Amino acid sequence: MKKLLLLFMWLSPAVIYAQGFQVNLNGQKQIGMGHTGIGLAQDGASVSFNPGAVAMLPENYIQGGISPLFFKSAFNAAGSNVVNYNKDKVATPFNAYAVWGPKAAAWKLGIGVYTPFGGLTDWGNTWQGKYVLESLDLKAIFIQPTISVKLADYLSIGGGFIYNRASVDLQRGIPLISATGEVGKAQLTGNGHGYGWNAGIYVKTEVGMTVGITYRSQVNTNIKGGDAIFSVPGSLAASFPQPNTFSAGIPLPAQASIGFGFYPSSKLTLALDANVVGWDSYKALAFDYATNAPSLQDTYSPRNYKNAFSVRGGAQYKVTDKFALRAGGGYTSTAVPDGYVTPEAPDANRYYVTGGLGYKFGSRLDIDLSFEYEHLGSRFQTNVESNLSGTFKTNVYIPGIGIAYHW
Amino acid sequence: MKTLKQYLYISAALFVFAGCKPEIKTANKATSNADFSRYIAVGNSLTAGYADGGLYLEGQQNSYPSIIAKQMAAVGGGTFTQPLFNADQANGSGYLQLTGFTATGSPITTTVTANTAVRGQVTIPGFGNVTLYTKYTGDINNYGVPGIKLQQITFAPYGNLNGFFERMLPGNAGTNSTTYLDFVTAKPFTFFTDWLGNNDALGYATSGGAGDVLTDKGTFAALYNLSIGKLTASGQKGAVATIPDVTAIPYFNTVTVGAVLAAVKAANPAVANLYINARTTAADGTATYAARVATAADLIVLTFPTSKMGTPITTPAGTLPYGLTPLTPIENQYVLDANEITLTKDYVVNYNNTIKSIAAAKGLAVFDAYTFLNGVKQNGLVVDGVGVSSNYISGGLFSLDGVHLTPRGYAIVANEFIRSINKTYGSSIPSVNVADYNAVKFPAK
Repeated sequence: MKKLLLLFMWLSPAVIYAQGFQVNLNGQKQIGMGHTGIGLAQDGASVSFNPGAVAMLPENYIQGGISPLFFKSAFNAAGSNVVNYNKDKVATPFNAYAVWGPKAAAWKLGIGVYTPFGGLTDWGNTWQGKYVLESLDLKAIFIQPTISVKLADYLSIGGGFIYNRASVDLQRGIPLISATGEVGKAQLTGNGHGYGWNAGIYVKTEVGMTVGITYRSQVNTNIKGGDAIFSVPGSLAASFPQPNTFSAGIPLPAQASIGFGFYPSSKLTLALDANVVGWDSYKALAFDYATNAPSLQDTYSPRNYKNAFSVRGGAQYKVTDKFALRAGGGYTSTAVPDGYVTPEAPDANRYYVTGGLGYKFGSRLDIDLSFEYEHLGSRFQTNVESNLSGTFKTNVYIPGIGIAYHW
Repeated sequence: MKTLKQYLYISAALFVFAGCKPEIKTANKATSNADFSRYIAVGNSLTAGYADGGLYLEGQQNSYPSIIAKQMAAVGGGTFTQPLFNADQANGSGYLQLTGFTATGSPITTTVTANTAVRGQVTIPGFGNVTLYTKYTGDINNYGVPGIKLQQITFAPYGNLNGFFERMLPGNAGTNSTTYLDFVTAKPFTFFTDWLGNNDALGYATSGGAGDVLTDKGTFAALYNLSIGKLTASGQKGAVATIPDVTAIPYFNTVTVGAVLAAVKAANPAVANLYINARTTAADGTATYAARVATAADLIVLTFPTSKMGTPITTPAGTLPYGLTPLTPIENQYVLDANEITLTKDYVVNYNNTIKSIAAAKGLAVFDAYTFLNGVKQNGLVVDGVGVSSNYISGGLFSLDGVHLTPRGYAIVANEFIRSINKTYGSSIPSVNVADYNAVKFPAK
């Protein structure tokens, strides 16, 4: 008769596409120049940077690149003398583009496959926040067929349809221990997809400056029927029904950008981009489990993100016809308000510097190397949901290599 | 191709960069005006690491003083030795284990009786039987003695009456005459925590107001003053804790009047009320008890054998069902009734005022356990993604006896002590990672 309702508190898992997951590694030449490319027509990466500029590309392109991303995050809990580090895991954002059109035609077709959002964080199962997050592997692959038309010598437009293929693998501890000492664990894995579009305008002005304006829509991505795997002590199995699935919807935010290109000499290109990312669409994160139990309820957690702004600048100097040096940098404001920062992507205002080298083999093959260092300022946070309280600090190192064939 | 080679060197260098970790400067070792080189813990079962209805090695190893001492090591704390049970007698006094759930979801607990440290039993004339445990010899920093009241700390024969105290003393039961207060202050120390006084109210409360008495308020104040005076005699710094509201613990909030009545009604819908033998007044002094209808304001103890409900009891008026008539009320020892609660609360509030005013006068740190645990009962608490509450078993804070804490609970308490010590003395004892400490262990089946 000592009947008890064993109601365990199951806090919402926080799959978040935070700013930290906006990786922007969509082309090696552009990374080298501080991620600029809205107002330039550099190569096939214009498919993602500015579909409107594709028709202005002087050649056809097939290219690909990869940017292994080393995400180094540290956490020091409030009052503690222990610093937790996430594990060394390398995410691999990539980009691939093909652009083609007859030489004489005013149009070009293109397709891009790129990874504008993604994250790989592994804090392990012994750190202070293990019941908030152990690891998260999140990928979003945008596939974007594109058409671009030159309306006049000085004006082109373009647009593409986006199909997003997303996958998530989130793991966290459940604070229930078995008689033999095993700690409970939850794993949420699933795939989802979403749709959107990307469009842009590209203008060559009379004063020699180029201007690009783009808008990439929000991509609502739904994960349906993902596996929700709970391992808990056997006597509590009924509290965490198995097998189980979950559904969740995540809005990947829209982004509006303007960019400028300047050409002070035949050897020097300067670029300046500014954009706003519509994170304010991310009001809440809801998880719907197919089978609920008193201790496993659907969750709804407020996120209340705000829009983020960034400015970027970059330069390319052609030392010779074959060899180009690139450099750039930028600043991005955080989208995550105080109290909502989580270990998935410990977001903060960030600055970054980039550098790059380009070498042309013959007349048709470019090899581009890029490197980016990104620093997220240290941020003291107490999460409103988990009460995880402490200082996050993150550095990101992103070398990259790209190859482009053009004719 | 010289340039290409250079590129390769450069990119190799870049990968080396990638090994760098961000640096966070952790709290500085602030200059503290407290000396942690020899810390002692004074207190009762909570201090000893008692859990699941017993004192056993794992509980001792997770006692809040041992957690605090580990953290103090970073800021000049010395060795901290506990009177641990030997590994081959790790189950100490024996303790409760959760071994399953009934079909209706009630927990089944089983007492662990193997590998205990029980060495025998002795009958003390005029007192009764005392269970004795294997003697501990060696240095002691944690003086927690399960069961001790503040009222008993100057009582010379106490070392003969409490097996947990007796095991720390050199002499055998019957021959001891060292008071607890003298024993703990015999060896010099620089810092102390003192969490005494719980049993002065808890003993009365857990026996349903039947088996024990509340310590007189004046006696409590005098002894508290005396003990703090002695603990700070050489200018030692320390931290004290207040006494939790006894009604904030799951021991009193799990088996409720409503739940028992509902279960009885399920078998016999005609039953309208439970009857208890209740105190007739909340006023101090000699109590009279009378049967009355139980209400939600009366608290039934966790250990109430609910199988007694409705069993036939022979009375002058004939055979009547237990607990369901004014002639066969639930016995006093199973119920802390509304008047007893009022009385207990009055004493606890008074004790706590004593504790706080003496601590303030001596400039000691205070962990206000009364306020803290009432807060947890009201609002719950989330620590690093782990939700804790005052609920039995599922709450994660209290162990299977419904009174003492789990390792997770003791870690949370250690952090509260550390917070108040740091605040009072400007020290920077690092907080402990609560996620490293578990709550009640669940069986595989």
